[in-house]
Amino acid sequence: MTILTQLKEQITAQLPKLDMVIGWEQGYDALHATPLFMRAAEDVERLQIGPLSVHNTATYLTGLRNKKVGLVVKGCDSRAVVQLQQEGLIDRENVVVFGFPCDGVADLTKVRRLIGDVGRVEEVETTPTELRLRVDGREEQVAMSDVMADKCRRCQYPNALVHDHFAGKPREPHATSDDYTDVQEFESQSLETRFEHWKSEMSRCIRCYACRNACPMCVCRDHCIAQSRDPHWVTQDDMVREKWMFQVIHAMHLAGRCVECGECQRACPVDIPILALKRKMNKEIKEVFNYDAGVDPQAIPPLLSFQVEEENINERGW
Amino acid sequence: MPALAGKELRIVGFLCNWCSYGGADTAGVGRFSQPTDLRIIRVPCSGRINPLFVAKTLLSGADGVLVSGCHPRDCHYAEGNFYARRRLEVFKRFLPTMGIDPDRFEYTWVSASEGQRWQKVVTTFTEQIHKLGPAPRFGFAHEQNPATAAAC
Amino acid sequence: MKIGVFVCHCGSNIGGTVDAARVAEASREFPDVVFTSDTMYACSEPGQDGIIQAIKDNQLDGVVVSSCTPRMHEPTFRRTVERAGLNRFMFEMANIREHVSWIGKDKEANTNKAIELTGIAVEKLRRDQPLFAKQFDINKRVLVIGGGVAGIQAALDCADGDREVVLVERESTIGGKMAKLDKTFPTVDCSSCILGPKMVDVAQHPKIQLYAMAEVEEIGGYVGNYEVKIRRKAPYVNWDLCTGCGLCMEKCPSKKSTDRFNEQVGSTTAINIPFPQAIPKKAVIDPKFCIKLTKGKCGICAKICPTKAIVFDQREEIISESVGAIVAATGYDLFDISKYGEYGGGRLPDVITGLQYERLLSASGPTGGHVKRPSDGKEPKTIVFVQCVGSRDKSVDRPYCSGFCCMYTAKQAILTKDHIPDSSSYVFYMDIRSPGKMYDEFTRRAMEEYGTQYVRGRVSMIYPQGDKLMVRGADTLMGTQVEVEADLVVLAAGAEAAVGAPQLAEKLRISYDKYGFFMESHPKLRPVETNTAGVYLAGSCQGPKDIPASVAQGSAAAAKVLALFAKDKLENDPMISLVDMKRCVGCGKCVRVCPFGAIKEIDVRGEPKAEVIETVCQGCGLCTATCPQGAIQLSHFTDNQILAEVNALCQL
Repeated sequence: MTILTQLKEQITAQLPKLDMVIGWEQGYDALHATPLFMRAAEDVERLQIGPLSVHNTATYLTGLRNKKVGLVVKGCDSRAVVQLQQEGLIDRENVVVFGFPCDGVADLTKVRRLIGDVGRVEEVETTPTELRLRVDGREEQVAMSDVMADKCRRCQYPNALVHDHFAGKPREPHATSDDYTDVQEFESQSLETRFEHWKSEMSRCIRCYACRNACPMCVCRDHCIAQSRDPHWVTQDDMVREKWMFQVIHAMHLAGRCVECGECQRACPVDIPILALKRKMNKEIKEVFNYDAGVDPQAIPPLLSFQVEEENINERGW
Repeated sequence: MPALAGKELRIVGFLCNWCSYGGADTAGVGRFSQPTDLRIIRVPCSGRINPLFVAKTLLSGADGVLVSGCHPRDCHYAEGNFYARRRLEVFKRFLPTMGIDPDRFEYTWVSASEGQRWQKVVTTFTEQIHKLGPAPRFGFAHEQNPATAAAC
Repeated sequence: MKIGVFVCHCGSNIGGTVDAARVAEASREFPDVVFTSDTMYACSEPGQDGIIQAIKDNQLDGVVVSSCTPRMHEPTFRRTVERAGLNRFMFEMANIREHVSWIGKDKEANTNKAIELTGIAVEKLRRDQPLFAKQFDINKRVLVIGGGVAGIQAALDCADGDREVVLVERESTIGGKMAKLDKTFPTVDCSSCILGPKMVDVAQHPKIQLYAMAEVEEIGGYVGNYEVKIRRKAPYVNWDLCTGCGLCMEKCPSKKSTDRFNEQVGSTTAINIPFPQAIPKKAVIDPKFCIKLTKGKCGICAKICPTKAIVFDQREEIISESVGAIVAATGYDLFDISKYGEYGGGRLPDVITGLQYERLLSASGPTGGHVKRPSDGKEPKTIVFVQCVGSRDKSVDRPYCSGFCCMYTAKQAILTKDHIPDSSSYVFYMDIRSPGKMYDEFTRRAMEEYGTQYVRGRVSMIYPQGDKLMVRGADTLMGTQVEVEADLVVLAAGAEAAVGAPQLAEKLRISYDKYGFFMESHPKLRPVETNTAGVYLAGSCQGPKDIPASVAQGSAAAAKVLALFAKDKLENDPMISLVDMKRCVGCGKCVRVCPFGAIKEIDVRGEPKAEVIETVCQGCGLCTATCPQGAIQLSHFTDNQILAEVNALCQL
């Protein structure tokens, strides 16, 4: 029995007790999946899992607080569940988690960079090593190793960290530690280069807030301070500074909370590499507090607690 | 309000009312001379200082930001500076990725009795910022529209 | 909005280095400012009247005063605008004195800075809202921490004012340092004769609850409603039964116990009543020396005790008390004289502290009032007093003057002559500090009537020679070296903050200086208040003080407590946090971080929301900095106010 079949059986069995189960189905073409909200048994048939199941299903949870919701999760999605539970933003007893071993997802930006903007993809066949795409009658092959999302390469939690049901057998992690070489490489450039990098990247921002809307930890929703007058942190002026300020706000609001699902960057329609900001934040949180978000539902987030004597914060002798 | 062109850089301080603001007062009472660049914004507690205020200040064209609160264990509100210490530390470490020199932001602890220490902190920090020079700007900061200013 | 800006010259304090008139003129350009003026003294009566008149003439909605620190005159000007009919929170101050005119001489830079600081005050004021205080109940009991003379005075005055007092004392008896003194200057009256009756009053006062051998463990709450946990140590004696007869002391076989009351001049019994006038007069077992508690056998005291009061398995207990105000009167401790290795303190038995000498002089002391030197019990004939041991000395990090040592040394020199008429005394001093009523006359008497030889200079070393001590020093008036062959050397050890003072300050949430002395709210105008409402200071915990000053402060602190308790309701400071229900997502982060438990989760139509308990909130704003969507805002320090200040400074 395949993992998918097993998963469908588990979901079908639980569905009568739930308002819905959230997974993935094929979207507007075979390459693009879209979230699937299964309410009836026939919906379950459309479920698909694999390298195209990119969305973080936990993003919907806080909006469905009073419903009984089933959630099909990759490892990273499950960390968002843990983090939301830790912050008391969801009621764990209202959530049924269906886990499966995740082999990593494809970064569709990478796919597009390889094969170009090909239009509608008719069919995608996935193998452990390849994506075979049929476009306009011809077949394009891309190696998974070329298009796997960066977050998956360094993923230490491919299996759901919390789950009520698990299909298949847990797999080995893709990586055992994270050395943040990407952050170090970025910071090895001169300050001016880094400053100009963001100045130029952020000048492309269209302020659509897709990054925020896709983020499972952005729980303020309609009350996000990016769009409020009271408090008025960010003006509506069309200025790089204001767009950049929002990204800094997002990064600070995620300090000690970001599970690195990468949804912010994936959702960005103009491909601004904003995950780098959260990576940096996570690196520092790890260094100072030895803390990983979304791992332990009982942990206290580091910025909501303190120690009288901090181990890793040295007063700088001012 | 023109900054004194060529003479001063824009340095903004966020000080807690009970310790550091008092320490700055003590320095004043003692006539401990200090550079004139610093502009102090008074807040009740260092715990009130959201690191995003520092971010906003730096992105708005400040050349340096100084935060000062009560010494750890000595917070008027018992715990505010403990939280501030974590948040400000994380933010300071974040600055390099933003392309901003982390030396443009410092946080420290000065008690109400430490007038001389305050003089030293201000003098050292101001020198540090002058050594770094003016901060890079985002350009096209167009004329502030009085209409939008009134709304903010 | 119509704003008036008033720029103060403060005589030449501001006017000397800031062009106040130009600040006033430039302020006219700020948004909403319709009136500006510069005034010589804004805080003076004509100055305040001018503000009131301008508010009325120009229908102002808010006022900015650019003058001194708001920590000084903010309350003054709030009352001024209130008298003119405005809400007192429609007022902001720009600090152009302490933060501008006093710290720089460049008039152009200062004036520019003063204009900008006025500008940010205007921007903040434009976003101020009228605020109104809430009333809350007050618990009219007071906690006095420390049962020395200052604490005793504060406790008695409060109790006589008909308020219940909880007095906590670390030792097994009240009395503090004064109880150890033989006589007091400048009257040379018997210390225990004047203190004793006060101690008895404490014991007998129906309004005073005394906890001896107890320490404050934890303090929660706020002015009017403090919750205090008191740790009461175990005396191993049931004090309800103990009559203080002292039979146990007579029979106790362990006679080498540390005699803390007698400053370790000699030793005492393991079960002990420190001195005959002790209050409470109850026995205490020192578990370090009790044979029963260390070795398991003995128990003679238990057998002999007529009331069967001995309890060897007694445990310490935690007592909870609710009070509305707290007086800290924890006193001082002595500088450790062994830090001056060259004086031999702690090494040479006949080099002692002034307080030890008091015990030798005292009729109730270990020698029965006969001055005998510790090494061989001989009566000393030549006594050298050394001043400023641990005072006015940067090399031992004690640059301050302990204040009372000059006087007690003069007293001890006089008493020495009374005790041993054929003795001669020398005093090595730096300066004689005797600025009190009859004080200088007293030191003159020591020199002129009692023949005490005052040598102006420091002692460089003290070393033993035979059974004598050689004291070598300088006489700076003669410009010579001096050497005195002494039988006994008394070091005037300086006063230090009491052991544990910084830890207590942290519990009280008050400030302390680098030496551990507690910080008063204002060194001149608020000497017994602290910056924490409802916490007052008395005696040497605030800085070294002699007895009259300590008693005066004890009474002053009591007056402050009684004034506080004269109100039936207290008003909160309305600069507190408020929740915008629409924006709150009920994540509870504010609830988690609030140091005062001032935010609770409530249910609004099935959704969790945060709510501020208005009388508990202390206005720190930690919640506001924590809430990601800014749903909880600290009134008067809102995000928008601080952002407006930033914008005023930075978007140039």
